[in-house]
Amino acid sequence: MPSPRPPVSGKPPSDMAMRPTLLNSCAWAATAAEARFRINAAPQAPRASRVVALDAGAADVVRELADQPWRGTRFLSYDASRSDGHGELDRALTDIVLDASDGRVRLSEELIDADFIMMVATAGYGATAATAIGNACALRGIMTAGVILGRDHDVDAAVTALRPHARVLLVTNDTNDVAEILSAVGA
Amino acid sequence: MLRQDINELLTQTGPGTAMGDLFRQYWIPALLADELPEPGCPPVRVKLLSERMIAFRDSDGRYGLMDEFCAHRGASLWFGNNEVGGLRCAYHGWKYDVTGQCIEVPSEPDNSSFCTKVKLTAYPLIRVGAVLWTYMGDPATQPEPPEFEWVTVPSEQTYTSKRWQESNWLQALEGGIDSSHVSWLHSDGLRNDPLFKGSKGNDYNLNDMRPFFEVVESDGGLLVGVRRNAEEGYYYWRITPWVMPAFTMVPPRGDHPVHGHFWVPIDDENCWVFTFDYLPTRAITEAELTAMKEGRGVHNEYVPGTFRPLQNKDNDYLMDRDAQRRGETFSGIKGIAMQDASLQESMGPIVDRTKERLVSADSGIIKARRKLVQAAQELRDEGTVPPGVDTAHHRIRSVSIVLPKEESFLESCRDALTATPGVRQTSV
Repeated sequence: MPSPRPPVSGKPPSDMAMRPTLLNSCAWAATAAEARFRINAAPQAPRASRVVALDAGAADVVRELADQPWRGTRFLSYDASRSDGHGELDRALTDIVLDASDGRVRLSEELIDADFIMMVATAGYGATAATAIGNACALRGIMTAGVILGRDHDVDAAVTALRPHARVLLVTNDTNDVAEILSAVGA
Repeated sequence: MLRQDINELLTQTGPGTAMGDLFRQYWIPALLADELPEPGCPPVRVKLLSERMIAFRDSDGRYGLMDEFCAHRGASLWFGNNEVGGLRCAYHGWKYDVTGQCIEVPSEPDNSSFCTKVKLTAYPLIRVGAVLWTYMGDPATQPEPPEFEWVTVPSEQTYTSKRWQESNWLQALEGGIDSSHVSWLHSDGLRNDPLFKGSKGNDYNLNDMRPFFEVVESDGGLLVGVRRNAEEGYYYWRITPWVMPAFTMVPPRGDHPVHGHFWVPIDDENCWVFTFDYLPTRAITEAELTAMKEGRGVHNEYVPGTFRPLQNKDNDYLMDRDAQRRGETFSGIKGIAMQDASLQESMGPIVDRTKERLVSADSGIIKARRKLVQAAQELRDEGTVPPGVDTAHHRIRSVSIVLPKEESFLESCRDALTATPGVRQTSV
């Protein structure tokens, strides 16, 4: 059976009125009643999220967040003051070492199965870590976001440091925004 | 995803609801001034925030907005006679002034004071620019009238339309905050629309489909900065202000008029979209005005005699698959306004946000929701006046600009983001 000829303009074809039209086969499907028939599928797999505090102020916020229930999200922090055998590597900005609740871990290892990295910074930002994370994520096609806690000039340096490396930056006074975004993206 | 109770909090604006109480802190657009063009003109039915009202203009030219239904038997005052000094119910002749005060009950004796005991709920209705605004909250906390630049510039520099959108106000507003859809859904408009085309900014828009976002809190709400690559060492920034609860501006393009929206709940499943174009320093040209009235730019065509868009649910928005196939429109729908409306209405009257799958690029929307919830809760719990009530928050502009990569859009655009009379918009 030949398929019906498509309309040649923005107007409906003249025979459209003759066709049986169910509620769900036209724009009137956007009713509350029809919404009952939307497929009610189980939630899809969560993002593989990592939250990295870039400075001490941010680490406090991230530590608190880590105590809440999340769907596989890992919480880490970068301590620029710690010097160890990885120091040279840090300065090369190809990899850094992060603190996790279960010990210390290399960024490159942490990114193996990640698809979303949220960097959290305050006025005591960690530009080194932002660069390392940004570069590593760019190489691997991992989405980056940054939340900078503070306002106005206090966080200018942090904004400048994160801007090239976070596809999305939120500057806010509200520490709850970190959790809000994580919840919203299904972390 | 959003919890169901939070979705309900955000989307319900009727009397006694948290978001309804929040909206009742602000002056909101109720009608176009043209709807009540002269003293003694016919009354107009108005529904806002799930309250049905009648708007009229008495013989002295005073504006009134009150309960639609006569206190006597509940008949609609839309059938009434707009007489000297008030609106008289067509059923038994009860007459009301613009404050809702009953001033005559014909069945009572001449010297009866009964009518003084009858007063309909009424709200102030004032004209600012080409819009009639109402404040539906506690008279004791009525703020100063709105000072958005679009309604304070001379009349020849501004044009406002309104359209009915068959969805909850929030999903309409969220479209105004979400800049990332422009390069996709509206890509044809950037190339062809007379009120959009020809700006250098369009090239940046179309050449970089993966923008970066910066969301910054402002005193009145949010500033959403979107940056794309420009020439070597530079970014092209588009900065969208949101002033709470429901005002957004689109970043300008070249010398085209600046546009934006005020998203006003009618009830929980419908909203008014007040759409404006204005220029801070020059009159709108005849050609621009004609284009706006023909539904170009961010405006739309109408079912004659109504505020219902010509493209609507009844006709599948006049979907044109051939135009979509040829790449003339991305979605097959003609016009920027209806491209937005068709998709937002398709989400359902109140989109189920428990099932959405947001990404971090939606941070502006996520933050806006949080600010609305916070403001509603702080109002309810502590009586805190929410952002956006202070008229200083209204004096804001959208901006499009090319900046060196190392510059902060906020610092570099502080002046450009402020509405200053006599100063041209900052636009690329």
